[in-house]
Amino acid sequence: VRVLIVDDEAPARDRLSSLLADSNEHEVVGEAGNGEQALEIAGSASPDVVLLDIRMPGMNGIETAHHLNTFESPPAIIFTTAYDEYAIEAFDARAVGYVLKPVRRERLDRALEQAARLSNMILSEVAKRSGISDRRKHICVRAQGELKLIPVRDVSYFHADQKYVRVHHENGTDLIDDSLKHLEEEFGDEFVRVHRAALVAVRQIDSLKKTADGQTLVTLRDAAQDADNALIISRRHVADVRRRIKGK
Amino acid sequence: LASRPPDVDKEAQAYLPDFCAAGAIFVVVLVAELVAILLTLAAHTTPDTFLTELAKMSMFILWLALLSAAILCKIRPWVEKFGGTQAFVFSFLLLELLSLVFAEITYQLTRIYGEAVIINESHAGFILRTFAISSIVIALGMRYLYISSEWRRSIVLEAQARISALQALIRPHFLFNSMNTIASLTRTDPSRAEEAIEDLADLLRANLGGPKDRTTLKEELEVAAIYQRIEKLRLGDRLNVRWNVSELPMRALIPSLTIQPLLENAIYHGIELLPDGGEVIVNGVRSDDSLEIEILNPVPLDTSGSKDGNQMALANIRQRFELAYGTRATVEVQESDDAYSVKLRFPCEEHEA
Repeated sequence: VRVLIVDDEAPARDRLSSLLADSNEHEVVGEAGNGEQALEIAGSASPDVVLLDIRMPGMNGIETAHHLNTFESPPAIIFTTAYDEYAIEAFDARAVGYVLKPVRRERLDRALEQAARLSNMILSEVAKRSGISDRRKHICVRAQGELKLIPVRDVSYFHADQKYVRVHHENGTDLIDDSLKHLEEEFGDEFVRVHRAALVAVRQIDSLKKTADGQTLVTLRDAAQDADNALIISRRHVADVRRRIKGK
Repeated sequence: LASRPPDVDKEAQAYLPDFCAAGAIFVVVLVAELVAILLTLAAHTTPDTFLTELAKMSMFILWLALLSAAILCKIRPWVEKFGGTQAFVFSFLLLELLSLVFAEITYQLTRIYGEAVIINESHAGFILRTFAISSIVIALGMRYLYISSEWRRSIVLEAQARISALQALIRPHFLFNSMNTIASLTRTDPSRAEEAIEDLADLLRANLGGPKDRTTLKEELEVAAIYQRIEKLRLGDRLNVRWNVSELPMRALIPSLTIQPLLENAIYHGIELLPDGGEVIVNGVRSDDSLEIEILNPVPLDTSGSKDGNQMALANIRQRFELAYGTRATVEVQESDDAYSVKLRFPCEEHEA
């Protein structure tokens, strides 16, 4: 079994890799100190199983697992955790593989044998039940086989573009394979729908402007939007947008 | 090691007793009747008139007492919000006013239906006498309620502080992570593993002893330093702690297990969640007769995670500071988008020796 080890603590990684090195059946194909690095290594090393710490700075284990699921052949996932009674309850309830730190060899072997892919639905459910934030901090973009992570806080708005959604962010725009409805559900706290096809970061809204023909436009803070792409607020969203701007 | 704070027993925390309860009303009636007997006995009655005099007196006092109880019952939720002394002062004034009004009404009633009860003294005289007697009785009653509520509150506070002190002990999360680190070090660096076990043992010993009342700053800082060493093994370069505490008198006393839990919070909710880690700053300042210790840590910008643990340790430290120093100590929390700080201010006291 090809294994990728992900943990933000070096001693924890060392321990797992030395346990795995003892056995002939398993091969450690990489070690990562955070979620972003894990996705990068997973992309090139294509592991069968990822040993994933839940509590990590930046991107936590659950979010990393969500992103790993966007791979063409997603790896199986085993969570590792020191102590987290609610997460463990949730794992047990959903038959999600996990090992407790300090990790026992037998337990690790058994988990590796039984490791299975986890669906996004199960991941979300586990996150909800164990009080872990299931809101992604990054938007995952795949372009020409490359994997790119855009921090959600860099996004100024999402725009539905026929089949795809285009995400406009600090460093340009990208197409993502996600629905506006789903994005709104996930990021509704920070984003507001201005019309049927656009979801704008409240934080990024500079002002609202009335045009001569009575339409209301959104102006964004860092001029990320091109002039001909001005965001019109549809009539039925105006009141809501105003309220959200005031409330921020 | 439950992670939920103990339920605050609201009734025991209240200042005024619940005058709507049957038990309390019974006591009110009993006390009113005793006062009535006392006053009648003192009024030079003859054996044949005693009972009729007592009946009149009882009627007056019981009415007044039950009316007072009814009013206190109704206003209690509202005065409780003022807190301690104010609640009592306000209730006292209200009852005084009530007794004045009540005396006046009685006087007027006896003038209208004056056959049974004849008051043979001037209007002002009657009002004044009644008011004086009721003031003394009300004052005594309030004083009694005040002292018993203080006593009850201090017992509850102390018990709560004990319970939550036990719960605020080292997080299981920390314990298991440390074990994991040690398991790893036994292979790669046995001598450091040995040190880590020694440190962990010292830390557990300090914690298992439970919070003593107070310890010296020197000891308290040592426990925190041991804790820091263990976390450093796990977090490596991500964890830095700057101790600006040279100004503090090391012999000064501090409630034990206060700095270490705050450092633990700073790491658990701050440093650990930052990909590049950060620096915890501990500032100690000494002014005339008080000490100020601030624990300051960076936090990630988007903290969508929960902060339950914070509250536990903080609530516990608050309670213990209140028990030890009353209003002479403050625990102040400041939060901004990217930083979190807890500032302890308490009187500088040393062992008498």
